[in-house]
Amino acid sequence: MAARDEVVRRLREMLGEAALAPDEDYAKGVSWTVQVPAASLPEVLGVFKEAGFYLESMTGLDFQDTLEIVYHMNTYEPRSRMAVRVLCPHDGEVPSATGLYDSALWQEREVWEFFGVRFAGHPDLRPLLLPEDSTERPLRKTFGTVHAYRKREEIYG
Amino acid sequence: MAEQFAEPVRQHLYSLNLGPQHPSTHGVLRVLLTLDGEYIVEADPVIGYGHRGHEKMGENRTYLQFMPNTSRIDYLSGLLYNHGFCLAVEKLTGIEPPERARYIRVICAELNRISSHLLWFGTYLMDLGAFTPFLYCFDDRENILDILDRVSGSRLTYSYCRFGGVTRDIDDVFIEQTRAFVKRLRSRWKDYHNLVTKNVIFIHRTRDVGVIDKDLALRFGVTGPNLRAAGVPFDMRKVEPYEVYDRFDFEIPVGEKGDALDRYRVRLEEMEQSCRIIEQALDQLPDGPYRQERVRLKVKPPRGEVYFAFESARGQTAYYLVSDGSPYPYRCHVRVPSFGNLHCLTEVLRETLVADAISILGSIDIVVPEIDR
Repeated sequence: MAARDEVVRRLREMLGEAALAPDEDYAKGVSWTVQVPAASLPEVLGVFKEAGFYLESMTGLDFQDTLEIVYHMNTYEPRSRMAVRVLCPHDGEVPSATGLYDSALWQEREVWEFFGVRFAGHPDLRPLLLPEDSTERPLRKTFGTVHAYRKREEIYG
Repeated sequence: MAEQFAEPVRQHLYSLNLGPQHPSTHGVLRVLLTLDGEYIVEADPVIGYGHRGHEKMGENRTYLQFMPNTSRIDYLSGLLYNHGFCLAVEKLTGIEPPERARYIRVICAELNRISSHLLWFGTYLMDLGAFTPFLYCFDDRENILDILDRVSGSRLTYSYCRFGGVTRDIDDVFIEQTRAFVKRLRSRWKDYHNLVTKNVIFIHRTRDVGVIDKDLALRFGVTGPNLRAAGVPFDMRKVEPYEVYDRFDFEIPVGEKGDALDRYRVRLEEMEQSCRIIEQALDQLPDGPYRQERVRLKVKPPRGEVYFAFESARGQTAYYLVSDGSPYPYRCHVRVPSFGNLHCLTEVLRETLVADAISILGSIDIVVPEIDR
């Protein structure tokens, strides 16, 4: 618990109270959700790194108005998982986390090839799971058959 | 004539493709090795040969229709993936399965975990050149497959769990067979230890080979037995107890330094702990319904999201589901443990021998379709 509280304290100072949302019951599987502007992502992940967190999962969400990258951070203590969420326009860029976490090398390649998010500062953006000459962005809602393509507020509003 | 050969080749680094069709890569995995003599200078795993687009498929079908997909993500621990998916959807929707169903799921999931570890045990030893243990543990594994086949109807891709329960109830024969199996497996440990654990060739091939310490695990997100072998007692069944795991008395086996031998020991010990869980679950098994009756086939979770993590045979696995209130998930992401476990090989394989690379690759216990998704 100690590591989690330390991160929450430092992020409060850095981003202000409004950016953090607690989930005491762990109903969504995370204890805190942090909304971060893309520019301050490296600092925020640096705080996690210093507290001994690892990058558990990283994925994208495609909405009509924006893309969203969700990082799930966890450490070896009970109920410490925290979500870091970054909004990014469809043709936008997000700073890379590869300097902090080696696991981001592959995870960012995956998000890049499936969603078309560019990671500024990633040393080696090649397709990972898709064929090496692929230019499609399969997990965007504009690819193939999709059930629904919604605005972000329709789900999180 | 002689001038043609006058210029000797200066370049002493060369590339070698390990895979994609190689028996020791356990699936379609290619590792591009750069070698200096017999030493590896750089290893670059090339994955994606088995990419089927499970995450995209998840967005185009109802929650129940995605259930068969879950057992095909990792075909060796299909039931654990079914179980985790069920729990994620139940958490999102608020379905409460009856007590008996919870116990049945735990028993079957732990049986599946043992079968997955047994298969790893056999194939790993075969990679190292020992053929006999392979036959021993496939014999034991066959028992589990028969038991699970009897109750679920399939041997590998079970799709046995349902939202709010399981497809079929277990009967006395199942309980009897499971108890007999646990007893039989316990009597086999001695054989395994005599054949393998005390085998001097095996020890030489695994001790101090492919060390993954806590720091490396943290950087690459390594989880599961590979992490526990480094001495970190981190198991989702204990730190975030789901289902009824908090009612059982079991331990988390840990290693000391995180080499291949520690990983072997941890997995072997984990099978024994799974046996303990199964026995306790059979003792406590309550009567009652095995399935919640009032669950619609097309579940419609409310708007929102859930990130549900559980422990599969290879480590921490998670489903990240986003619902827009319709019967189809808006996003269905799977966090697979082998992804991080394989990625750390880029670091571990450096400056090892090619022969050790086979041993390390086997000891990590990867399932390639799980990485490719």
